[in-house]
Amino acid sequence: MAMDEIVDGLSEVSCDVLVIGGGTAGPMAALKAKLKNPKANVVLLEKANVKRSGAISMGMDGLNNAVIPGYATPEQYTKEITIANDGIVDQKAVYKYAERCYGIIEELDSFGIRFLKNENGDYAVKKVHHIGTYVLPMPNGETVKKAIYRQLRRARILISNRYMATRLLTGSDGRIAGAISVNTRTAEILVIKAKAVILCMGAAGRLGLPTSGYMFGTYENAANSGDGYAMAYHAGAALANLECFQINPLIKDYNGPACAYVAGPFGAFTANNEGARFIECDYWSGQMMLEFYNELQSGKGPVFLKLDHLHEDTISEIETTLHKVERPTRGLFHEGRNTDYRQEPIEMHISEIGFCSGHSASGVFVDDFARTTVPGLYAAGDMASVPHNYMLGAFTNGSVAGEDAMEYADNTDFAKFDAADIEKERERVLAPTRREDGIPPNQIEYKARRLVNDYLQPPKVTRKFELGQRRLGEVREDMETRMIARNAHELLRALETQSIVDCADMAAHASLYRTESRWGLYHLRTDYPEKDNENWFCHSLLSKKDGRMTSEKRAVEPYIVPIGEDEKDLYDKQRVRASA
Amino acid sequence: MADPFESYDDLEDIDDRLHAADPGERRVAIIALGHSGDPAAVAHLDRMTSDPDPGVRQQVALALGEFDGPEAAAALVKVLIDPEQAVANAAADSMAELKDPGCADAILPLVGHAHAFVRMASLRALKELRRKDTLKPALDALRDADAAVRVQAIGVIGFLKMEESIPALTAVTSDADAHVRRAAVSALAFSHMKPAAESITRALADTDWMVREVAAETLGTNANGMHAADALINALADEFWQVRLKAARSLGKMKVARAVAAIGSCISHPQANLRKEAAAALGEIADPGGRKFLEPVLDDPDPEVRKNARWAMQQIVSRKGALG
Amino acid sequence: MPLASYQTSVPVVVDDAKCIADKGCTVCVDVCPLDVLRISDMTGKAFMAYDECWYCMPCEADCPTGAVTVNIPYLLR
Repeated sequence: MAMDEIVDGLSEVSCDVLVIGGGTAGPMAALKAKLKNPKANVVLLEKANVKRSGAISMGMDGLNNAVIPGYATPEQYTKEITIANDGIVDQKAVYKYAERCYGIIEELDSFGIRFLKNENGDYAVKKVHHIGTYVLPMPNGETVKKAIYRQLRRARILISNRYMATRLLTGSDGRIAGAISVNTRTAEILVIKAKAVILCMGAAGRLGLPTSGYMFGTYENAANSGDGYAMAYHAGAALANLECFQINPLIKDYNGPACAYVAGPFGAFTANNEGARFIECDYWSGQMMLEFYNELQSGKGPVFLKLDHLHEDTISEIETTLHKVERPTRGLFHEGRNTDYRQEPIEMHISEIGFCSGHSASGVFVDDFARTTVPGLYAAGDMASVPHNYMLGAFTNGSVAGEDAMEYADNTDFAKFDAADIEKERERVLAPTRREDGIPPNQIEYKARRLVNDYLQPPKVTRKFELGQRRLGEVREDMETRMIARNAHELLRALETQSIVDCADMAAHASLYRTESRWGLYHLRTDYPEKDNENWFCHSLLSKKDGRMTSEKRAVEPYIVPIGEDEKDLYDKQRVRASA
Repeated sequence: MADPFESYDDLEDIDDRLHAADPGERRVAIIALGHSGDPAAVAHLDRMTSDPDPGVRQQVALALGEFDGPEAAAALVKVLIDPEQAVANAAADSMAELKDPGCADAILPLVGHAHAFVRMASLRALKELRRKDTLKPALDALRDADAAVRVQAIGVIGFLKMEESIPALTAVTSDADAHVRRAAVSALAFSHMKPAAESITRALADTDWMVREVAAETLGTNANGMHAADALINALADEFWQVRLKAARSLGKMKVARAVAAIGSCISHPQANLRKEAAAALGEIADPGGRKFLEPVLDDPDPEVRKNARWAMQQIVSRKGALG
Repeated sequence: MPLASYQTSVPVVVDDAKCIADKGCTVCVDVCPLDVLRISDMTGKAFMAYDECWYCMPCEADCPTGAVTVNIPYLLR
């Protein structure tokens, strides 16, 4: 049989809880669901292989948002996240995370993941910025996925690798009914009926095009093509604040994070070409990214990661973590360029745009039980709307989702859906394989992402967005009528391209809806440059209604941790310019 | 259509493949054992620890890392003492992930092994198990000829947090090796006894700057750190700004008012990291005497310094307000 | 429109002498998040079939025999 040859086939399975996405939130959700009801069937579906999938494929060098007793309180954390998000936060979910995450750290520790401990065996929490103390390094972070996978195997979770979910099934009563997926190596269809479904499909990280031009050199794992965002949208779920893009600082041309959280505690910092600090914001936020962007554009750019003021021994310690854990090719990259932290600062840049609540706030709308607006459908991790989740948020909220979904499944029956939906979806999925001639997915993807860079990247300009929408409409037309996939692997890329184009449309629509500027660079609109609390102190929810993309406002839930008047504009106030 | 789910292989089927003549095939079978998630796989792996092929034994050491408990520990002991270093390294890494205190029984005898690497790795694994009966062998290991072994022994002792170990830990703060001294100083942090604090304080005069840095930092968390305030004030004049920075942090945390002038003198240092922490410390102390040092840096070129200086000024003002 | 093939130098290199894919090993192919590695019908060894690499390293790190090397894709170097 030729490589990745297309096989005609369709089968059906059913389970109590279906978890889609085996990266960070997904395995935890599956594990917690199974532990809650060991008799129930839990299926974990993954487009790649659970062993090494998702944002933390090769590991993570530390926790950025660990709320550890004695160092930070849930109140403090909730306050800080609220301020970092310009107030647009439903605090309940953030607070719940903050309360539970320490328990999850202890659990991960018991799985064999080593967090940095001092010589007394206590967690060595580091202070990175002015306000709170939330950073906990992970010296053997490269073993995170292995440790989690081990737990899944012990609990005998049903793991289905190399199946890409394409659409959710919903019942006539609006409840979730399951999902349809396709094997990425044979194109066979697998229908999974489920009482509850948890989406843990990661960021939309393949939205913008990296400046290197290499399509897979993205900040996020390039497998995170926004499939979860697209599926939630087509199932009628609401998506929150998609205009609050993800943009991250990184090493120029190399997609390794800029390590504020790794090198920061050792005294390294982001500097301009004068070797001086310029970032005033404390917490990772759009405001911080705006300061970064402004410096890049100014005469004081480019921006650098500065370590050359540190002692040789300190630099060696930093290198060990940076090069071995999160992005182990980093050392190789610097070697190739003959750059050495000891000799000179390292050039930095900003990443392409994407959706990711893990770093910003753009995600499928969920409440504090990880429930979406579709009954029985949950979301957790980078794709769910709890802001600034990071890895620990994915584990914690995945655990919340798993437990609640199992409780829901235990008290409900399978929703009835129209069998014709399956045939319809099968034809939609396989359409690119039925064509004799056409445009391959890589060209359609490249064009869509190039247009995202040209028209949708902040600063956002209305006229540019409108042009972008028109051009993306043309790409969509080509994608729907002319895209060709000659084998199962190309079909995988073709389906990912559809997610990417859906996400691009959502990014444009959501950005045009919010006629103000907010979240620093993430939603900087040049024709609406001011923050407008009177009209826009609210979430924006995007959803599909009667087949059309619509947006509406949703009030921010009353705060449970009050923010004082003097704290509200804390970040604005911090920008105390030197008068000299 | 094939079963869409990952299989949970029958261990007996895998076992057949363990007898394959080709070492590559045996390795593949061992990988499957590791992923089986079935604790019964440990017995099969245990038998493979004596495979003639070092690559196979290395795979066994890795696969054992997927399991916890006394049986896994006993099998790991066999590969930790393997003559091939690659096998021993893999075993050491797997061993460091063990969490079940019951594992200590199998590992303890290795603390007296002839090879320093084995002694080091077994102590490292024992650390996380936190079992009281590991204290004695760890105390003995403080006299080990190998510095890496002594560092791990300090870890075992420090994790147990038992006051009776303070004299021994104090003794190693004057070890010949700087790494050992660093570990010993920070392991003393937990102690409520005065000799511990005195020993950390003496380390502020260590010849190695990183030991002095750790000492300055540790005094900020030690129960008797207050008594070392004068020594910390002296450390604010250390030739390494890294040491001064930690001393300022600790004096700030302890709110030592008489340190204000000395911390203030750090605020004009060219290293922004030090200016930043000095400003924060003056804020924590909130003594009106800090004001004159803070005023010049309200306009510092570094935003973090400005921010901390501003915050510190607010602390001084609000404290004055609170005192009426 | 007719399709042409496109030349590209791939970042992942496999040492055939060390690779044990012909003994039934599929570790690198399994762990790749982008699913770009395959086992050759001709040689029985692993190789990079698609230049869609995130250079994330599990293929190299998890290879039991050290046969896999991940290089930085040329466009980024």
